[in-house]
Amino acid sequence: MFANILFSVSSLLVISSCILMMWTKNLMHSCVYLLGVLIGVAGLYLTLGADFVAATQIMVYVGGVVILMLFAVMLTGGKDYQSQTQKILNLFPSMGNKYTFMWGVGVAFVFGCTLIYFFRNLFSVIKVIESDDSYTPTIERLGELLVTDHLVAFEISSVLLLGALVGAAIIARPRKERPAFIDDIVDDHHHDEEHH
Amino acid sequence: MENTIAGYFLSFAPVQHLADSLGVGFTSFLIFFAFCTLFLVILATVGGFGTIAERKISADLQARIGPNRVGPYGLFQLIADGIKMISKEDIMPRSADKFLYYLAPFLSLFGVVCTIAVMPFSKNLILTDLNVGVFYAIAISSLVGVGIFLGGYASNSKWSLLGGMRGASQIISYEIPVTLTIMMIVLIAGGLSFNTLVAEQAGMPWNWYIFHNPFTFIGFFVFFISTLAETNRAPFDLPEAESELVSGYHTEYTGIRFGLFALAEYIEIFVVSAVSVSLFLGGYHIPFGLLEGTFSNEILQFGSLFLKTCALYYVVIWVRWTFPRLRVDQLMSICWKYLTPIAIFNLVGTAIWIVAFDGRSMFDLFFGSGVH
Repeated sequence: MFANILFSVSSLLVISSCILMMWTKNLMHSCVYLLGVLIGVAGLYLTLGADFVAATQIMVYVGGVVILMLFAVMLTGGKDYQSQTQKILNLFPSMGNKYTFMWGVGVAFVFGCTLIYFFRNLFSVIKVIESDDSYTPTIERLGELLVTDHLVAFEISSVLLLGALVGAAIIARPRKERPAFIDDIVDDHHHDEEHH
Repeated sequence: MENTIAGYFLSFAPVQHLADSLGVGFTSFLIFFAFCTLFLVILATVGGFGTIAERKISADLQARIGPNRVGPYGLFQLIADGIKMISKEDIMPRSADKFLYYLAPFLSLFGVVCTIAVMPFSKNLILTDLNVGVFYAIAISSLVGVGIFLGGYASNSKWSLLGGMRGASQIISYEIPVTLTIMMIVLIAGGLSFNTLVAEQAGMPWNWYIFHNPFTFIGFFVFFISTLAETNRAPFDLPEAESELVSGYHTEYTGIRFGLFALAEYIEIFVVSAVSVSLFLGGYHIPFGLLEGTFSNEILQFGSLFLKTCALYYVVIWVRWTFPRLRVDQLMSICWKYLTPIAIFNLVGTAIWIVAFDGRSMFDLFFGSGVH
């Protein structure tokens, strides 16, 4: 019962925010709708009993990635983008010209057929999920597996993070020589003081 | 269902009768609804009283009297303030981003209020004792940063934008020492749920994790300083620095929308203080196991947590009115050059301590088996 309510609310949140995210022409609003999608996906993970993955989803995406995207959009000017498509396609946000749209329709057709083929047994699957109301915490097993069976993957990902940290430190390292504009400011300041 | 407040109350006879007639599912829903509302009201009131405490204590520290007109000792000032907030005109700048401008205060408050779900007020007065409790609390409270940033961006004012950017960068940066310090306690306790984290700290103050080993003692101060920065409190209140940014990210907000930002801040201080009490200062435990196993015990535990949290709340306000504000570069260098390395050092040190002394605390080592 509770799992069903959670599933309905989360999937509604995901679908509606997804549509709004695609539809809006303001990049900043898109980012905020993306926030809704990501929180909804966290809810979907919860319905599958993956509590740790759900918390990590919120931690990584809401706390890190979305803020980063908001920063990036703001610094690059997140104004309303005029639609750059041709006449009939003006309804859609800028996605390309008529050739890209033709390709898109073709790919969507193939992809849709595949999805329908995969999900033809969808309703029988849903019945299975409804009957499954048990919930086992995943975090203990995750912790065990991370330091036993998947130790190499764990260590390699930590090396990746270390690389990112060192790279960020190198980029942010202050240069030895002083930029020219600081000298100008200091000179101006001295001039002002002399006048006074 | 075992680790939730509904599971606890369903073990009482009257509630069981209710569950028989209404069904277990609906009764649990009713219990959850009632206690969510109750905790929300309590925290909102605490947030309101936080503003009074702030004004009264700051007045004390500056040898003034402070608000003393409304009610005894000016205690009802929060009602007057609330009515003022609600009845003020809701102004929006003409060039503001309407959607984001309306959304931002709610996101900010939402992030704080969602952490109530795992707040351990007592052993059983915890809405749900999630397996990933403290991790969930860190994760969901990062929504506050999004709210602050969007508030700053949407107002379309230079002061707000600067405040919002400072807020977001500050909250992201200081999450690292906070998380590393929490990892240290998780390492000792061996679990992420709040009841596991608090369980070993039962009894006398020397069982508290702050006195577990020298690293946790340093860790408490690292945690406290970092949480000050995460809640945008002075001396880290750069996002709302009055002397340079007018009021930072909420410069353009008026009426109840400003009120929501302020309420979120004061509730967040309480929540963060409660988390530090649970992690380091013994949580809800009371000595000698008074009235073990009865409902009065839960009330006493609630009181214990509340008192310690209020004491920490006082310190937060005290710090605010004592220290001058930092510069942005000082803020960042404190986080990245001092707190983060110290936190990593603490984490490694605690791990070595646990291996070397088989997880025993300092008191345990000095005085034999220790008192439990």
